[in-house]
Amino acid sequence: MLNLSSLQPRQLAAQILNFALVLSTAFMLWKGLSVATDSPSPIVVVLSGSMEPAFQRGDLLFLWNRGQDTQVGEVVVYNVRGKDIPIVHRVVRRFGGGTGPLRLLTKGDNNAADDTELYARGQSFLNRQEDVIGSVVGYIPFVGYVTILLSEYPWLKTVMLGLMGLTVVLQRE
Amino acid sequence: MTSSTKVPVYSLSDLKNTTDDALPVYLTTLPNEPFKQSHYLADVRLVLGYTAVAIAGVLFYFDWTLGWENTKAYTGPAVLAYFLLNGVFTYWIWAVEKGTVFAGSRGKNQVTSPRQSYRPRSTSTGWTDSAGNKITMASKTKDHIPIYHLTVSVDGRKLDIKAPFTQWFSADGYFVAKPFQQWLASEISVIGEADPNNVVEEIGRGNVVDGVRPEKVQGVLDQIRKGATTGSSPGSGKARRRG
Repeated sequence: MLNLSSLQPRQLAAQILNFALVLSTAFMLWKGLSVATDSPSPIVVVLSGSMEPAFQRGDLLFLWNRGQDTQVGEVVVYNVRGKDIPIVHRVVRRFGGGTGPLRLLTKGDNNAADDTELYARGQSFLNRQEDVIGSVVGYIPFVGYVTILLSEYPWLKTVMLGLMGLTVVLQRE
Repeated sequence: MTSSTKVPVYSLSDLKNTTDDALPVYLTTLPNEPFKQSHYLADVRLVLGYTAVAIAGVLFYFDWTLGWENTKAYTGPAVLAYFLLNGVFTYWIWAVEKGTVFAGSRGKNQVTSPRQSYRPRSTSTGWTDSAGNKITMASKTKDHIPIYHLTVSVDGRKLDIKAPFTQWFSADGYFVAKPFQQWLASEISVIGEADPNNVVEEIGRGNVVDGVRPEKVQGVLDQIRKGATTGSSPGSGKARRRG
């Protein structure tokens, strides 16, 4: 433990810098991964059971968005226009491609019907380039459950951020 | 002469940090032409670090307001620049600063002793154009061993000194400045010249373990044994006191 008020200005600046570097490095690693995979969100957590038994709630998925020629059978993650919730479903039909935009129809393995009901009003297919944020290339079971807890109990976020900040600021070396 | 804060005496990092903090306080208040502290090393480190953080902050702001598609073209270069700066920052800490806790100089205008102006001096380190004494101090401790190691570089000449923390921490954890200052003034000639009153002769008090050479101890013991067998006073062995 050390007394913050007794620090020299440079020492205080160095302590704050340590904390800022932890946060910014995490952010920049994420952005670096985004650039490498060409996806705005290269790692997502499965939020629903609609893809069981392939993926469970809480699974962590790794996405790749560089191969644009998505085939039937691939699992893709897309955002519905106007909503910000990523949905993980399997491609069951593809139309177009080549010179025109590639259009996809998706369906959850565990759902009875395809996704036309989920899409935005007036939309009956996904535009590969605009709507899809990546194809699933790997996953780790269950570890994403923490983020589900964090989004369902938002006060946990504050607690976690506070704890992180305190440890970095109060420890020296 | 004690500091107001108390440290846990078994916490090595507390002992080291308190001692590190006491160095500039003493060196910038020497009675005879004190050192002027140079913050060059720390300032470069802070600029490197904060520039990197600023890049991340700006990217975060535009990513937040404009979205991924609009910032995509700038994200790659920003990430590259961030990690380059971070690399230089790390290099600076490990290869340039190397645990430096004090850097400073005494200007030539204030030189009182004529000898000092003829000293060879290094021009390789570029943070001051002073022609007086230039000093850098880097400290370290080895894991779980309560000995303070100080690498002192005066005008390019290196000197490694070490002393146990017990020499300047009281049993209840207060830093006592006087013995610390005496240690520095006695071990480092430049500081001794600047603060002659704190130069003390080493008389081998119990807490100084490093000066004791086993073969000398053996000699003293031999003397005592000889004295005992020949019937003379055992105290004669003490004539070999160091100092």
